[in-house]
Amino acid sequence: MATRTAPYQWSARGFIAPGVILVAVLLYLPLLWTTFLSLTEYNGLGDPDLIGFENYVEMFEDPEFVGSLLNTLLWVVGTLLIPVGIGLALALLTWNLPGGVWLRLPFLIPYALSGIGVGLIWSFILSSNGALDQALAAFGITDPPRWLVDAPLNTVVMIIAAAWQGVGVNALLFTIGLNSIPKEPLEAARVDGATGGRLFTSILWPMLRPLTAVVVGLSIVASLKTFDIVLSMTKGGPGRASETLALTMYKETFVNSDYGLGSAIAVFLTIVTMIAAILYLREQLSKKHEF
Amino acid sequence: MNSRRTKIGAGVAALAASALLLTACTGGGAADNTGETTGTLDFYTDKAAWEPDFDELNTASEEQAEITLNTTGYSDANQYDAFIKQSFRTAKSPGLFTWHTGSSLTELVEEDLIAETTDIWTKAVDEGWATEDLRETYTVDGKQYCVPMNIAYWVMYYNKKIFAEQGIDVPTTWEDLDAAATKLKSAGITPYYQTSTLFTFQWFQQLVAGTDPELYEGLSTGEVKYTDPEIVDIMNLWLEEHEAGWFSDAGSTVDPAVGLKQGDYAMINFGSFFNGSLDGAGMVSGEDYDMFVIPATNPDLEQTPVAVESGPLCVAESSSQKALGLAYSEWWMSADAQSAWNDARGDVAFNPKATVSDPMLADLGTTVADGEHLLFTRYFEATPTPILTVALEQFGAFNANPGDPLPFLEAIQAEADKYWADQE
Repeated sequence: MATRTAPYQWSARGFIAPGVILVAVLLYLPLLWTTFLSLTEYNGLGDPDLIGFENYVEMFEDPEFVGSLLNTLLWVVGTLLIPVGIGLALALLTWNLPGGVWLRLPFLIPYALSGIGVGLIWSFILSSNGALDQALAAFGITDPPRWLVDAPLNTVVMIIAAAWQGVGVNALLFTIGLNSIPKEPLEAARVDGATGGRLFTSILWPMLRPLTAVVVGLSIVASLKTFDIVLSMTKGGPGRASETLALTMYKETFVNSDYGLGSAIAVFLTIVTMIAAILYLREQLSKKHEF
Repeated sequence: MNSRRTKIGAGVAALAASALLLTACTGGGAADNTGETTGTLDFYTDKAAWEPDFDELNTASEEQAEITLNTTGYSDANQYDAFIKQSFRTAKSPGLFTWHTGSSLTELVEEDLIAETTDIWTKAVDEGWATEDLRETYTVDGKQYCVPMNIAYWVMYYNKKIFAEQGIDVPTTWEDLDAAATKLKSAGITPYYQTSTLFTFQWFQQLVAGTDPELYEGLSTGEVKYTDPEIVDIMNLWLEEHEAGWFSDAGSTVDPAVGLKQGDYAMINFGSFFNGSLDGAGMVSGEDYDMFVIPATNPDLEQTPVAVESGPLCVAESSSQKALGLAYSEWWMSADAQSAWNDARGDVAFNPKATVSDPMLADLGTTVADGEHLLFTRYFEATPTPILTVALEQFGAFNANPGDPLPFLEAIQAEADKYWADQE
């Protein structure tokens, strides 16, 4: 039996080998190397010195790291409330609406931009004496908030900038979810008199759950690794007031040349992201058979 | 059993392939130095914007040294530094690359990664191409490494039209400078530029060195603490200036050169390479803008301190182009090379025998060498990197939200304590 299937198995292995090797070399080996580096003191030159868990202790003792962690949590919450929330609202409002696709389209265009590009555009708008301040001055508001200088306002406005980019794709995903709902239960609900909020809470929301789980899961992961928009808009400043974990990791590694501490933050971020994703998706996707 | 064996076999094959791939990626060690001293030299720099200037210089280097630069410019300094550090692990370590003086240079020397240039410096000093002071900047444990790519003095640029309109003469004392700032402010013009990112250190540097150069020196060696009363007093002076409204909004992202041109502020403390940015913004040197050496805060100082920075050109010890890189470095120090570079780039020349085309920069070079000025290393190079990183952030935070200076200084000192403890 084994002899007869061997040629098939070998050719199958031949097909998957390049993929397996690429994944191992480009993902798993760097992961292992980063984990090893997190246990060392290393400035990028010479050889790393093994120091155990000192980098992790230093990381948690640093108040700036705690600030960075709090900012990242703010990003997670903000990203769920704004781009996911508005995306869902937009999908519901334009679903089954004649020409709804044309209403969603403008929201989708920013998704084609890179995070750095979005950051640059919004810096132009929000920097002191920038486009928004000048517009406000035209209405007599000469002392506007310092959008990118004062914390946590700077993190909040950056979340809004990220939302501007992310709303369209969330709306698109929710629309796909709405379109995939079978017509029968919808018609039955309508016959029973369910419309508006009642239709949403009793029928649409539960049936959207698998898709919501994916959208929310992706949003959590994306917000935990927020980097490009913050780098291009505030560089984590002033001071380190708007830094996120990914930016802290980058700064420690490439600005301070503290590869050990940077790697420890990377490992921590990876673990947090994986735990959040696994817990959330397991919790949400296990409920799909309930209706 | 068979199935298990084939699984193991496939795993071993995959691991072997991975190992092969990794070996290919890492390159497998240093290449031999070819010993050639003419030809095309691979040159890496974090000054991508200067690439056309380096290309322009090829005509002179080809003719005089038979070497042509093949320049690769990086526009992100951090990405560049990481690339250079990683390149030392491969056979591709660069024949010539730009780097930094101070602790970053010492770091490479301690790992034996860069080629010694003592002979080149000896010749340059003997020929009168470079000063002993400058050689000191490139000296680690009594030997020289790298050669200076450029030199810049940190001075005050000002908008000539604003000064003329307000009837302000170039300040020659600290009192004059304060009077100019007061006059500008009362006319509704912000006197000084400032920012909350990267270039946040220059006013601190100026105030400390201008008050007491030894105090400044002590900060860079760890003998003076950022929380010492003298430093706190200096920060309080800076705070008073903030409270007087003398600094521009730290949150503005307007290009500093454009800001000076459009009168967002009248003065900006910057390195003498800033001419290029101002010219690029459409200002004419000597007509729309000019510069002056910032007077010492302490009028009792015998010499006026001027911050100087110098960026190096280095050769990797293990590079296959080591001899070629060193040959280029030797040519680079010459007056002919520096005159050609000045024509291409327009910069202050470190070689006193080079001709400088911009009269403003030529004057500056003469002024700072007149014996009445004390050159000191710019804060960026004088401060060890980990302390510098925190200091830049804290000065940025102070610029954005000026207040009691002690918490900012304490944050810097905490990092300094950690750094100096590690050095013991």
